[in-house]
Amino acid sequence: MRGALLFFFLYLYLFALPVSAQALLQTGSQAPEFSLKDIEGKDIRLSQYSQKKAVVVLFWSTWSAKSPNALKRFEGFLKKYKDRGIQVLGVNADSQTISNEDIEKIKKLVNDLDITFPMLMDKGLKTFHEYSVIALPSTIIVSEGKIAYELPGLPLVGTEDMFDYLLVLAGEQPKKKMEPKYKPRHDAIADTNLARGFVKRKKYDVAYTLLKKAIEKDPKYMLPYVELAKLYELDGKNAEAEEILKKALSVEPDNVVVMSEFGYFLTKAGRIKEAVEILDGAVKKNSYAPAYYYHAYALAKNGQMIESLKAFESALSMNPYDQKLYSLRGEVYETGKMQKEAASDYKKSLELILKIRE
Amino acid sequence: MKKESKKQIKVTAKQKSTNILYLVVFLALTFTSTFTCFLPVVFAQQEKAVSLYKESVKLLEDGNIDKAIEAIKEAINADPNYPEAYDHLGYILLKKGQIDEAINAFNSALKINSRMRTSKTGIGLALMKKGDLKGAESVLKEALILNPYPSMTHYVLGLVYEKLNDYEKAIAHFKEGIKTHKVRVGKE
Repeated sequence: MRGALLFFFLYLYLFALPVSAQALLQTGSQAPEFSLKDIEGKDIRLSQYSQKKAVVVLFWSTWSAKSPNALKRFEGFLKKYKDRGIQVLGVNADSQTISNEDIEKIKKLVNDLDITFPMLMDKGLKTFHEYSVIALPSTIIVSEGKIAYELPGLPLVGTEDMFDYLLVLAGEQPKKKMEPKYKPRHDAIADTNLARGFVKRKKYDVAYTLLKKAIEKDPKYMLPYVELAKLYELDGKNAEAEEILKKALSVEPDNVVVMSEFGYFLTKAGRIKEAVEILDGAVKKNSYAPAYYYHAYALAKNGQMIESLKAFESALSMNPYDQKLYSLRGEVYETGKMQKEAASDYKKSLELILKIRE
Repeated sequence: MKKESKKQIKVTAKQKSTNILYLVVFLALTFTSTFTCFLPVVFAQQEKAVSLYKESVKLLEDGNIDKAIEAIKEAINADPNYPEAYDHLGYILLKKGQIDEAINAFNSALKINSRMRTSKTGIGLALMKKGDLKGAESVLKEALILNPYPSMTHYVLGLVYEKLNDYEKAIAHFKEGIKTHKVRVGKE
């Protein structure tokens, strides 16, 4: 009885856990609360806007080329549809440490673009990591405390779809006919979160059961497939990992996360041609930084060093805070006997893991 | 007469032992009450030190280095046997570039707890900053033995080898740092 109760409370606790740290597969998860200082030093919390229909959290930086456009688009939207219950919050992710010089640069850009919505400083990039941001700019729409929409980058088609979604929330007609947006089942999200906790504690048997249950409950929810494949791989069951990734792709052939993970899996298995092919496709989906660095890694294994380094650069321009990127490029450099460069990348990767700022 | 004096001697001996017993009980009670009377004071001081330590960590995160130093020094005043406070002071001083003072702080931490692995790593980092790369290497290797989850020590050792242009060893330590951190996360 006590065991059942404990399990129940653990279940409740994990159900309430904020966000699963897998970019692009977060829809339906609890949005992590944050409290950040705005550019004038005032504290702003996400929850203070809980009465709004939606809160748009726009992660941006002064060094990303598309960020000014994203800021302008949201400012324009707000001007047209103010008082419609939509709040926009800009979260600056320029660097791990923000100097006074950085703040001046940010203030200047905000003034030049005439931005009126709150501009928050993400010191240490805690919020950036909690929201699993993979590209700058990136937009997360929070509605009723949950992540309702996520869009990395500012891709042509995806951006218009997102603004259509916001138009509907603002009580307007969308510009084009919208497909009803898929929302994963809550119990499938809960099982997946719970399973991730068990994987951390190395209780693989329970994790397997929960992930399989999550897939059964909501076969369209891609996160448990990805997590299950990773678990199989961790457990040395590569054939099962491949099978589950293929199953996920049979449900959603264009899912960029699954395509990327499958491509990386194939690269590690030495099936480079197949990997390059699938990762070529993932990269064309745009804006998903891991697709770029997995692609880069596969290209290097395929002997295409120049193309590989270019692809790493593309990933870097989207998100310079991803430790895996540096780790993989380090490996590529090391294999290519470029020891100094390899050391520098492994160092950067470890600095990001240990959150060393200086 | 002889019998009586023997009896008297017996009575005196009995009284003596009773008196000693009373004395022991009295001393024990006095000691315990004195000790327990001081206990809340000691705990309060320790609690104050911990709270100041946390405050200093937060101040450092916010970039208020001088205030962080003030807070941690107050913590040390409140509890002079708090090795983590000296260790933290060492790292702030390192950040400020006061390397010798940082080494002193790390040594103070090690005097209280000789197995304070982060302080050993701190000394290694300080020696590296002073340009004593060989000295740093040796202290850091020692720190590695003490540390079951040595990601940070591997990191600093990697930095040392990078400065020595020994990239092979630098790579090995950075990679080991990544690997050991993953193991640690898995254990938590």
